[in-house]
Amino acid sequence: MKHWFLFLSFILAEISALQAQTKVNSSTFGAIEARALGPGTMSGRITAIEGVNKDGKTLYIGTAGGGIWKSTNAGASFNPIFDKYCQSIGAIAIDQNDPKVIYAGTGESNMRNSVSIGNGLYKSTDEGSNWVKLGLDSTEHISKIMLDPSNSSIVYVAAPGPLWSDSPHRGLYKSVDAGKSWEKILYVNQRTGCADIAIDPRNPNIVFATTWEFRRKPYSFESGGKGSALYKSEDAGKTWRKITKGLPEGDFGRIALTLAPSAPDNMLAIVESKNTGLFISSDAGESWKTQSATFNVVSRPFYFSTLVVDPKDHKRVYRPALSFSYSDDGGYSFTDASNDGGWVHSDHHALWINPNNTNHMVLGTDGGVYISNDRGATFTFCHNLPVGQFYHVAVDTKTPYNIYGGLQDNGSWIGPSAKPGGISNGDWKTLYWGDGFWTVPDPSDPDIAYAEYQGGHMARIDLNSFKTWPIQPMQTPKEEKLRWNWNTPIITGQKNKKNLYVGAQYLFKSTDQGRNWVRISPDLTTNDKSKQNQEESGGLSADNTSAENHCTIFTAAESPLDENVIWVGTDDGNLQITMDGGKTWKNTSAAYAQLGIPAQTWVSSIEASRFDVKTAFATLDNHAYGDHHTYLIKTTDSGKTWSRITSSEFTGFAHKITQDRVNENLLFLGTESGLFTSLDGGLSWFRMKNNIPDYALVRDIQIHPSENALIIGTHGRGIYVIDDISVWRMMSKEIAERDVYLFPLESRVISDGKYGGGSPFSGGWNAPNPESIPAFQYYLKDRMMSGEAKLEVFDMEGKLVQTIPASKRKGINKVYWNYRMKPPRVAEGGAKLDFGGFTAPQVLPGNYKLKLTAGNKVIEDTLTLLHEDEKNYNLEDRKLQHEIAMRYYRMHEDLARTVEELQNEINLYNQAIPKIKNKKNKIVATTYRDQLETLRSTLLATKQKSVFADETKLREEISEAYGNVAGGNQRPSNLMIERSVLLRSRVDQAMEDVKNKKMKEGKKCADILKSERIDIPAKP
Amino acid sequence: MKIKFILTLFALVGLLSTNVSAQTADEIIEKHIAAIGGADKLSKLNSVIMEAKVVAQGMEIPMTMTRAHNKGWRLDINVMGMNGWIVMRPDSGWTFMPFQGQTKPDAMPQEAIKEGLDQLDVQSELFNYKEKGHTVSYLGMDDVEGTECYKLKVVTKTGNTNYYLIDPSTHYIVRSITKRKANGQEMEVESDFSNYKPIEGGYVFAHTITSQMGPMEVVKITVNSEIPDSKFTSGM
Repeated sequence: MKHWFLFLSFILAEISALQAQTKVNSSTFGAIEARALGPGTMSGRITAIEGVNKDGKTLYIGTAGGGIWKSTNAGASFNPIFDKYCQSIGAIAIDQNDPKVIYAGTGESNMRNSVSIGNGLYKSTDEGSNWVKLGLDSTEHISKIMLDPSNSSIVYVAAPGPLWSDSPHRGLYKSVDAGKSWEKILYVNQRTGCADIAIDPRNPNIVFATTWEFRRKPYSFESGGKGSALYKSEDAGKTWRKITKGLPEGDFGRIALTLAPSAPDNMLAIVESKNTGLFISSDAGESWKTQSATFNVVSRPFYFSTLVVDPKDHKRVYRPALSFSYSDDGGYSFTDASNDGGWVHSDHHALWINPNNTNHMVLGTDGGVYISNDRGATFTFCHNLPVGQFYHVAVDTKTPYNIYGGLQDNGSWIGPSAKPGGISNGDWKTLYWGDGFWTVPDPSDPDIAYAEYQGGHMARIDLNSFKTWPIQPMQTPKEEKLRWNWNTPIITGQKNKKNLYVGAQYLFKSTDQGRNWVRISPDLTTNDKSKQNQEESGGLSADNTSAENHCTIFTAAESPLDENVIWVGTDDGNLQITMDGGKTWKNTSAAYAQLGIPAQTWVSSIEASRFDVKTAFATLDNHAYGDHHTYLIKTTDSGKTWSRITSSEFTGFAHKITQDRVNENLLFLGTESGLFTSLDGGLSWFRMKNNIPDYALVRDIQIHPSENALIIGTHGRGIYVIDDISVWRMMSKEIAERDVYLFPLESRVISDGKYGGGSPFSGGWNAPNPESIPAFQYYLKDRMMSGEAKLEVFDMEGKLVQTIPASKRKGINKVYWNYRMKPPRVAEGGAKLDFGGFTAPQVLPGNYKLKLTAGNKVIEDTLTLLHEDEKNYNLEDRKLQHEIAMRYYRMHEDLARTVEELQNEINLYNQAIPKIKNKKNKIVATTYRDQLETLRSTLLATKQKSVFADETKLREEISEAYGNVAGGNQRPSNLMIERSVLLRSRVDQAMEDVKNKKMKEGKKCADILKSERIDIPAKP
Repeated sequence: MKIKFILTLFALVGLLSTNVSAQTADEIIEKHIAAIGGADKLSKLNSVIMEAKVVAQGMEIPMTMTRAHNKGWRLDINVMGMNGWIVMRPDSGWTFMPFQGQTKPDAMPQEAIKEGLDQLDVQSELFNYKEKGHTVSYLGMDDVEGTECYKLKVVTKTGNTNYYLIDPSTHYIVRSITKRKANGQEMEVESDFSNYKPIEGGYVFAHTITSQMGPMEVVKITVNSEIPDSKFTSGM
């Protein structure tokens, strides 16, 4: 019996210990927030736009990979409201009867090669502040949500369903209890989903739906089949009737459907078929006739599915597609929008028309949101939506360093990581056009970068003139036709910075910036001919844009330790290595196939370790076969064997693995839904938040070679930068177990920051600079709910220099000291604020004691502050600056005491005078009081009644000179020094005047008070 | 015997693994009210005077917040001997901020008064919320900078929406989020509460309140003192 008890105690102790162990996770580092660099100048694909009809200015914008953004001011500003959930948005619906209620369907339905995947339907009942998931988790793509206009409890959801596999989770779903439960009311087969819905507002039992048969493979897609059709129900979805009258013969593809709200018998549909065209019906969808087949109506029906009729005018039809077209004759003829308001980005997917002012409309494109106030004739761009879809990012080593990146449908760009006043949209410059992918600086030549557009069309770019020269390798008689991935790798040497690699099915190498190339491999792919028929791709509408190119090299990496060790990953499942600079290659994929990773799995990234030449990591992506697992593998023997790294934290198929440059156990993983970190070489992982959406689509992760910065390229939220990852490098389980821990104080250079600048925000996306002065970082095991937290700075004599309130969050906290003393006490009682009271001199270099108090825990450490010469500013200059600043500082304090003394005396007589009975005495005391007031009015501004009527007295004069001396780091000028002498003498004079006044007239008046037995407390 | 042992073990493991059991809004509020002094005391709370300071790189700005239950609310700020203030009562309000040259108090727009009415309840809007005509719903757990908290949504009688995040171990409010509309534009104001301390009379108050402006340290709290009506007028 006893041993049972002992065993039980032991088990319980173990469990308790496990429970008690502090987990290092995202919250540990939560205070270290990433900067959202945006930019907003090249925005991203917009998939859904809904507005609140009643106010015409509350907008919800759904994006392809950046969540939902809300504006309450018609687009003047936006805020993200969906950052804790799946970032790919397919559809949004507002309950216009109660606009607090919003539905969001995740997983967009613009089914291009790079489309992301949703995880169900969400609902908010408080205008988007909080969300709950309603279900439909496996639909993966949702194209439309519609509410019954007469009964908000009835909700329809169109789900095209999974794109890359058969699935029963597609079709038209209906809820009659506002989303609590769902019934699938229209389902064709595992390959056919529901694409569009329309409801007759006069009789909501009349519902139209279109079904769509569509499938992607990694190397082709097919839109169209027997499952696609147009259906009508007259009993709110209980029964359905296929509509064919007047529609083309044969199979259909995607059908975009709409009805005219002002005359709902009038309907329009773009029907993808062998003869794709716009069809109209004037009998509530019973019969149709062909209306138009203009280019913009029929182009890419799988991708452009938006068709809208003006809410008030049934003849006014809008077709946002490749361009923006409108018709005034019910869709018979179309005109394109003008570019007078600026070019409108092509490829449109969403349009909201304000039903109460149909001139006003909001358009969603592949490059962001546009607003028109003239019925779509012209548009203005919203520069404030940072939802760019980067594929790759890179950095250079300039100061400040630049960030390079290529975006889906938005070219290749360069922008600074910091700039006086912050980084605005205008700081980003376009390097190359088309769809942008790898955009990389030449590490051996600061004037050169490389970029490409889809299908391997690459160039060398001069970073001064932005002139470009094509460098794409060409086929010779020794090669088969070159196959270039949509997103072709351009890799620069890690060991030998002169090396440049690009991959078709072969790996090419150049050592002269792409002027000449050597093929250094055979075909490294499976070269499966059945996967190379892209010219037949598209289904009913041919579509071959290189997006489906296959059996190509997708990624490569040169070892940072040996330039002869090169890794190559292909999109058809090969992971190859050469250890002799390309003479011989070995395919290692069979080794990880043993781990259960399917053979065809796309190799999405390879990280050749900088700590060991035989070690590498790779991410693999099999989502194009309907497999969403997060595949991350590691080898320590040059690929002879691989081990799989897994975690229950992982979500999404994997894009990128990056190993830290300093701490080999620090790993970062980017997936289609999240950014993950391991501090222990991959044994355990946590999701990183740090101001980054929880399920961000992380495509690329770079660590700056000389800064401590982590640069994250997302496919829907632009670029994020975590400027200082040093605490990630230092964090350990031991530190995590402490209640309070102050990270080591390295010596620091006294600085007032790198950048000035900045004027009032004038719109657009403006990213902040890195912290101008680094924080002191400390760790708290738990959030402090009781007790004080503060950082105090003492000089080595123990004199308090500064006290700064400190934050109390769980995990790492930051507290900032600007290396300045406390500001001087300035004379009070003036008619305006005096900025002298906000200015403090910088402290001098030397040692200081830091004392961190967190509740009843106190940590002390010594900080060494250093001087660093700047242009025209050496240590002697600093000392002189401090000395002169302190002169002014003391003037302020002396004047403050003098004015206080004066004010006390004035207050005393203000109270005493009414009590003086003797008339003569009263006159004497009043004269004295008035003289004091006159004196006071020479010492500080007492009369100024407006900011526009400047009044300058001694206090203000001191402040002006003091501010000039103490403000920035510069040697005080001769005149600043001379002026200190003059103003000192005036302060001394004022002190003398007050003293004399009090000695003479003051004494007389004190006697009067005494004689009249008036007793006023000294400090009233 | 063995089965009994295993079942016992499971039960104990279950007990240890359950961090947070299911809660209702009323249960959370009850525990919160108990944590800050109890229903009896809160029902007797008529006024609160909070003397505080905002500290920024060594500069201290003293301020005093005076609240009389359902009568008025006043904030006084003192910078370099200059006094600025905001006053609100159920039907009117004024602001006087002379720091930028303002010479006379400005009347508050009615929209702002409506939005600020909840501030006049010194007893906490969670206390007796049903009697006060507010509705409260529990939204589940939510993360406040790494600390999982209960999230309550309050829609007040006046139509304002506020959220409260309550620490499951202490039942103190960690964060409040007030959602407001100014000129039709939506804004959310977050305040974090910490440094909870008991004060005279058995009430427990947060002594650090952190907003986007930075932390405010409370120096002294006086409760249930008589506050004349004149404190809540536009008179200087």
